[in-house]
Amino acid sequence: MTFCQQLRAGAVWPAPATLGISAMIFFGTGAAWAQDTPSATDFTNAATDTANWILPAKSYTGNHYTDATQINPGNVGSLHVAWRFSPDDTGPIEVSPIVYDGTMYVTTAHDHLYALDAATGKVKWSFTDNPHVISFAANRGIGLVDGNVYLGTLDGHLIAFDAATGKKVWDKVTVDDTANSFYSMAPVPYFDPRTGNPVLFVGVSNGDWGGIGNIAAFDPKDGHVIWRWETVPGPGQPGHDSWSGDSWKRGGASAWTGVTIDTATQTMYLDLGNPGPDFNTSQRRGDNLYSNSMVALDISGPQPKLKWYYQFIPHDTHDWDPPMQPILFIGKVDNQDRKLVAAGDKGGNLWILDATNGKLVDHTVVSFQKGTDTEPTITGNFACPNTLGGVEFEGGSYDPATNSLLIPSQNECGFWTATKDVVYVAGQFYLGGAFPKLVGPQTGQMNSVDVSDGIFNWRHHFDLPDYGGALATASGLTFSGTLGGEEHAFDTRTGNILWSYDTGAFITAPTEAYEVNGKEYIVVGAGPAGNASIPELPSSSSSSGPAPRIVAFTLGQ
Amino acid sequence: MGVAVRNGWWPARISGPAFFFALACVISWVMPGPAAAMDDHGAARAALTDLEAAIGEIVTVSNGYATDRHVYYRASQRAINALEGTHGREYVAADGNPGDASGAVGHTDALLDRAETPVWAVALQGAEANMQAAVAHLLDANHAHDLDSFSLAASRALTYLEVARGRPTEFGALGGLEGALANTVLGVPQGATMVDGCAEPTTAPAYGVDGGWIAWVTLSAGAGTWRLAENPGGSAVIMRPGMTVLPTAAASLVAKNCAGRHAAAPTADAPTEIATNAVKPGGSSPAAPALYTKQQAEAGSQIFAAQCVSCHGANLQGTAAPSVAGTDFISTAHKNGWSLANLRDIVVVNMPYKAPGTLSATAYADLLAFLLASNCYPAGTTPFPTNRDPAFTKIELGLVPGEHQGENKLGVCPVP
Repeated sequence: MTFCQQLRAGAVWPAPATLGISAMIFFGTGAAWAQDTPSATDFTNAATDTANWILPAKSYTGNHYTDATQINPGNVGSLHVAWRFSPDDTGPIEVSPIVYDGTMYVTTAHDHLYALDAATGKVKWSFTDNPHVISFAANRGIGLVDGNVYLGTLDGHLIAFDAATGKKVWDKVTVDDTANSFYSMAPVPYFDPRTGNPVLFVGVSNGDWGGIGNIAAFDPKDGHVIWRWETVPGPGQPGHDSWSGDSWKRGGASAWTGVTIDTATQTMYLDLGNPGPDFNTSQRRGDNLYSNSMVALDISGPQPKLKWYYQFIPHDTHDWDPPMQPILFIGKVDNQDRKLVAAGDKGGNLWILDATNGKLVDHTVVSFQKGTDTEPTITGNFACPNTLGGVEFEGGSYDPATNSLLIPSQNECGFWTATKDVVYVAGQFYLGGAFPKLVGPQTGQMNSVDVSDGIFNWRHHFDLPDYGGALATASGLTFSGTLGGEEHAFDTRTGNILWSYDTGAFITAPTEAYEVNGKEYIVVGAGPAGNASIPELPSSSSSSGPAPRIVAFTLGQ
Repeated sequence: MGVAVRNGWWPARISGPAFFFALACVISWVMPGPAAAMDDHGAARAALTDLEAAIGEIVTVSNGYATDRHVYYRASQRAINALEGTHGREYVAADGNPGDASGAVGHTDALLDRAETPVWAVALQGAEANMQAAVAHLLDANHAHDLDSFSLAASRALTYLEVARGRPTEFGALGGLEGALANTVLGVPQGATMVDGCAEPTTAPAYGVDGGWIAWVTLSAGAGTWRLAENPGGSAVIMRPGMTVLPTAAASLVAKNCAGRHAAAPTADAPTEIATNAVKPGGSSPAAPALYTKQQAEAGSQIFAAQCVSCHGANLQGTAAPSVAGTDFISTAHKNGWSLANLRDIVVVNMPYKAPGTLSATAYADLLAFLLASNCYPAGTTPFPTNRDPAFTKIELGLVPGEHQGENKLGVCPVP
């Protein structure tokens, strides 16, 4: 039978994949020899493993805290640069490096990926990408499991690389609409207790561009979706009536900040982004669930189920969403051990909730606030913080020794202007206005907040914002980097600065600790300030700002 | 640079397998069989109706929103049902059929099922092959694990279905069902008057036909609404005493065939695209408009260096922010359908990022001139206006055709 006869006889046309026009690109079915990557047990014990740092915030709790004690208040003064690595890219460094078995994986703004020797900073393998950037060039890291490294990209791809060789294993576009959706967060591996197999949790970045947020579980074998949970309730679902008209369809509420999991109860905690359009809100009357909320999802079954939610700012009109990964911890309130979960928002609030039921335990204002009850107008008005103020995405720490939360915050103000109309244009901001014009000085502080009463133990004020999050150590130190580029070590009890180092660039990345061959290292990325730029920053010899860098420190001899 | 044609009839993959295989098959394929029971025009109409029902299913489900994947599966199955009809091997009755029992493929098959090879056979064979290809992609859509895979498969199916539907301005294999209905006797309704297409039109309403091709359609003169059975696909309207003549896209072909045999039929230009007000530099014509002056672009270059370069980069490719000129920018603009108004709005309303709206109207105009110049738009004598021009919504951004002096490998043109 000739081909034409087959065609006439109604034979099935060759499927697209056989014609080589499928978007899925398979370069193989996995390496015969694979790099050792973390096991289910490694993930379970990630918090207490002082050598490796295998999840963005070290463990599923979201608490940037290490049990390592080699570097302590007594010797931190002799901390010096162990190595420095210069990636070949532009744009801010926002990565949480993943370290396992002596290898460190870092990413840069345009999805370049480097596997480094964690003791020397030497490149083992690298991948460079050239994605279309919708708005912000940034990548916050990778997921490491099942022999592979997983990267989400600015053009909506989820890519698997062989962890040992860097060879691409598969590459798939996994966002619905590449015009307004991308990835910036690190894929989070999780061994599903029901199957014993790993899944990858990734949330899509699309909230300020007219999309609806979702968190999805992907199969690391091929990138197919196992389940997906939409952050904006659709018709017929509880909470749908918190959106007027059809506004929910472009409601935002991205799940792009990080994934906290209580592995004992199989509960996932997510901080969800602001509603869209951000500033002209006349078309989205109502509370706009689950924007600006923390949600707790039961992930023990085949589909996630909402256990509870707490909306920090109903009907947000200023992009004051909680951008950080929630911190899950056992803290003391009224001398009782409580399972708590904390998050800060860009509106300058720190919230502590009961992790079992979402009830508010404490609320502390950590940034200067103004105009919290007014909406941006067409003629414009002031409010504080601006969209880069308050608590930012780098997160914080809970220190059990002092029962305190260590978290930086920013004082920045802005002048907002809303537009008369809001029109969705594919691939552009869906704001109904403009991001605020900066007003006045931009400053920041590191805070220690007593969990028992929500009152500050101490605050350390900086002339510039402090975007470096916090890393607390069991030895009593808290590390954080400022936007000005200085990496600091605080005494966790007193807030005194015990050590500082100027990285020569601007820090918008969290600090981490790890060990290789028994030697403890501190690592942080720095580079251009990106969208955190402020007029007060020193100018650079390059028009695009200081070159990106990864700097690792260790103790002197 | 590969720029997909937005909203075009011809998707990027028109060079795809179905079309060329179909052409190859056309040459050798004359399938014998009994004459169709339904009249030819009715059958072709029914095929088009079923095909449009299939397209409608996919378009509707894509425009909507559902968290239940079965909503999507059901839509693609209903599209298959409309295409294949109840005798199709992929037909699933439970999902319902927005078409009729024969299906678009059934009607097309029945039309082709004859000893002779009518002039419309080429168009219908192309349509059928593309519908078969669409079914294969719809079957893929039915097995999609996620919305992204579904969308990918469904949009491929849609691509083939649009080619199968075709357009009235084409009368060969690319014409599809609409091309055949507009330009061949398939488009003549039962009982309508057919006259010699080589002769001057003298009666109305009538179809001027020669060798199976329709050269023109006449309508009675006089005030009123005159409905056509089919879109004639031509680009001219000829007013004559007592009648209106609408030449089809095939008119020039008929005129050629008639030459030496008859007096020439009313002439019409070769098939042309339907005129549009939108200026599309990404298309074949017309030329990109001159929207700014050289002096503005040069002044804009200074503003860019002071206000924009830290995020958008000295090479305009973006460091922390997106590219604003060159291949990446212009292909994104074209893909997303950005107009000059969209570009102006985001610059004037949202930029500079940390101080939006703070530049003067003149500075914004200069900056936009610089961006247009960097994207290889030509300079002219009329300055870029300081106010929003309503015409900007009609100017779609796209690749400026032709060679550009000094254009770099990123597709950015230099501004002194």
